Amino acid sequence: MGQAPPVSRSRATVYRGRSGQWAFLTHRVTGFLVFLFLLLHIVDVSLVARPDLYDQVHDLYGNVLLRLFEVGLLFALVFHALNGLRIVMVDFFPGAIRNERAMLKAVVVITTVVTVAGGFVILEPFLAGRVW
Amino acid sequence: MTPTATPTAEPPAARRRPAPASFETWSWLFMRVSGLILLFLALTHFAITHIVNDVTETDIGFVADRWDNPLWRVFDWALLALALLHGLNGLRWIVDDYVRSPGARTAVKAALYSVSAALFGLGTLTIVTFSGP
Repeated sequence: MGQAPPVSRSRATVYRGRSGQWAFLTHRVTGFLVFLFLLLHIVDVSLVARPDLYDQVHDLYGNVLLRLFEVGLLFALVFHALNGLRIVMVDFFPGAIRNERAMLKAVVVITTVVTVAGGFVILEPFLAGRVW
Repeated sequence: MTPTATPTAEPPAARRRPAPASFETWSWLFMRVSGLILLFLALTHFAITHIVNDVTETDIGFVADRWDNPLWRVFDWALLALALLHGLNGLRWIVDDYVRSPGARTAVKAALYSVSAALFGLGTLTIVTFSGP
């Protein structure tokens, strides 16, 4: 058995796993972003100890830019949740790996539908001109 | 070479026995179990605060009404604890993958653990000590 050939850093971290590779990457990025939002969210909710300040800061979340951010959060949450379910299926049910690509398609379709529908509900007050 | 020629080799059945559960095995299992619970907790939380109610309605009065019921405090604390631990463990894996130098890795992990512990304390205090506006 010969030694494994040296691999450069970029080759070593991209294994060309096609759709699975993108699912893995998107799962990481969405998880990382949701974690960052969680840290921010713990701090903004902690302001309930000072009700006036809490309401002032909380009002920002109704701004259209933050509403768009909330649509992004919805996308990240739903993708991460459904793709996590796909990972659980593959890990715990032998044979599920054969349907791994079909499950990924379902993850992408459901995530898209939920993000578009939920995004419409979140942006509706802005679209209707009630907030800006 | 036949198997009998190597008497010190373990029989195949013993070689196939899985390694005893290590910290990383439990970490793997925790991610799956907490992930399933978080799927319900986090999506319910988001639906209540962004879909059923508009985000502008979740002001201090909304929080006071909800936390009047201790079950919602338990719900929110479970979400806080599981989401932080699940995220912390995910970040630990990411740091191990991308921060290669041992010194930098220790420093990044120390920062990650400190911030997470501090925010876990802050979040717990917020939920437990809130007594209305």
